Amino acid sequence: MTIELTINGEVRTVTADPRTALLDVLRDSCRLTGAKAVCREGFCGACTVLVDGEAVPSCLRPIGMLDGRSIVTIEGLAHFETPNPVQQAFIDHDVVQCGMCFPGMVMTLTAFLETNPAPSRGEVKAALSGNICRCTGYERIVDAVLSIQDMRKVSGR
Amino acid sequence: MTFPRSVDEALNDLAAAGPDAIPVAGATWVMRSPLRHEVMAPVYVALSGIEGFQRIDVTDEAVSIGPLATHDALAQKLPPNPDLKALKRASARSANPGVRRIATIGGNICTAAFAASDFAPALLSLDAQIEVRDKAGLEWLPVLAFLESRKSRELPWLVTRIIVPRTVRLSAHERLPMRKAGDYPCAIASVSIAVDDRGRIHDARIGVGAVEAAPRRWQNLEQALEGQPVDPALTETAARDLIADFTGRDAVDAPGWYRTSVLPVLLRRAFETIRTDYETRAS
Ligand SMILES: Cc1cc2nc3c(=O)[nH]c(=O)nc-3n(C[C@H](O)[C@H](O)[C@H](O)COP(=O)(O)OP(=O)(O)OC[C@H]3O[C@@H](n4cnc5c(N)ncnc54)[C@H](O)[C@@H]3O)c2cc1C
Ligand code: FES
Ligand code: FES
Repeated sequence: MTIELTINGEVRTVTADPRTALLDVLRDSCRLTGAKAVCREGFCGACTVLVDGEAVPSCLRPIGMLDGRSIVTIEGLAHFETPNPVQQAFIDHDVVQCGMCFPGMVMTLTAFLETNPAPSRGEVKAALSGNICRCTGYERIVDAVLSIQDMRKVSGR
Repeated sequence: MTFPRSVDEALNDLAAAGPDAIPVAGATWVMRSPLRHEVMAPVYVALSGIEGFQRIDVTDEAVSIGPLATHDALAQKLPPNPDLKALKRASARSANPGVRRIATIGGNICTAAFAASDFAPALLSLDAQIEVRDKAGLEWLPVLAFLESRKSRELPWLVTRIIVPRTVRLSAHERLPMRKAGDYPCAIASVSIAVDDRGRIHDARIGVGAVEAAPRRWQNLEQALEGQPVDPALTETAARDLIADFTGRDAVDAPGWYRTSVLPVLLRRAFETIRTDYETRAS
């Protein structure tokens, strides 16, 4: 099946079995390896990307159901030299350890802050309940998110 | 993969491809087939293009839910009224945010192999009706009859609508995942009650999920609570007295004994919510 997608602003045509996970198309065909394949069952969030602006696990999205959709991956979120506010806060707070979970964390939090620019600590934790981190213990991630002063800049992608 | 525009077209596509084809809603269950060591169905019949399948209509009489309404859409659309609290909470707390944006209520209740559905006990407690279409036509089933028919019903069939009737009742939904959120609950209790003029429980309906392989009503407890005050501690004690009604399911997330030992606590918590709503309504 041939599917047309807009990936990080670029229109791409993909020919694949329609049951293939978006995650595999991104990693194997598009060489966008920021989204990580970890659990492949929706529990860890390491594969999170934006589909039409919504943060979803790409391991559970069959490519055949995504014709015409717009996908944003961690590679398309911001320019390398100008990280978005979530990425910058993670750098400033020295949050990242092994890094495996972080592309998914950033995607989830970027979409979350667009709809909830002044969250409470509890709301940030609830938003991250589908993003598992084995290294950090989460608290510094939450601190970093709550430190972002101008949430409006998050949507400046 | 086919993309039917109507229920008839979907049933035709399914019939034409035979047992090789399955209906696909949010795909969050079917995409995990390889992890369950199951063969991925060769043909997916995507239900996303069928008119009205995402629709949720709320009136004073009933909530009408299209099978492709996502958990998230339901959580946002349902009003916070006490009669619908069980369903709203099941929608808002199941799974995790990313899955809730894509997984559907239809996919959830159609998955007979899934023991930890939040919707099944919630719909049992709310006395929902399920509309099922197959080649013979259209049939409305009480939710329990639908759940019991899933494995034996001749293919192909589709759930095409879910109706939750609305009356003056109080409801609550309690679940216990092993983490605070994100994983499957190891026990679920959904409760809906009416309260009579004397402040006594009338016509309690209690749905229990995740404890056994299939969700069901807890009729002995419902009967024991008839005419009793809305009292969380008393409810927990009554649930403990009757817990032998359940044989807990041993699975990787929790042993059976643990599920049955936490169930009475979930009943107490559900009645705490209900008592608060009752007192608010009365004041
Ligand atoms: C990480 C994770 C955590 C989860 N946690 C919870 C939880 O805490 N509580 C909970 O309740 N659920 C939970 N779930 C389950 C989730 O709700 C189900 O995966 C989901 O409901 C399936 O919905 P779907 O729309 O993706 O269905 P699909 O995967 O598209 O379909 C599931 C099954 O239903 C059939 N089907 C779908 N729609 C219809 C229809 N209209 N008519 C007939 N057959 C149909 C399909 O053929 C398939 O067999 C979790 C899932 C994940 C991935
Ligand atoms: S790899 Fe997709 S959620 Fe874990
Ligand atoms: S930093 Fe290692 S898993 Fe999160």
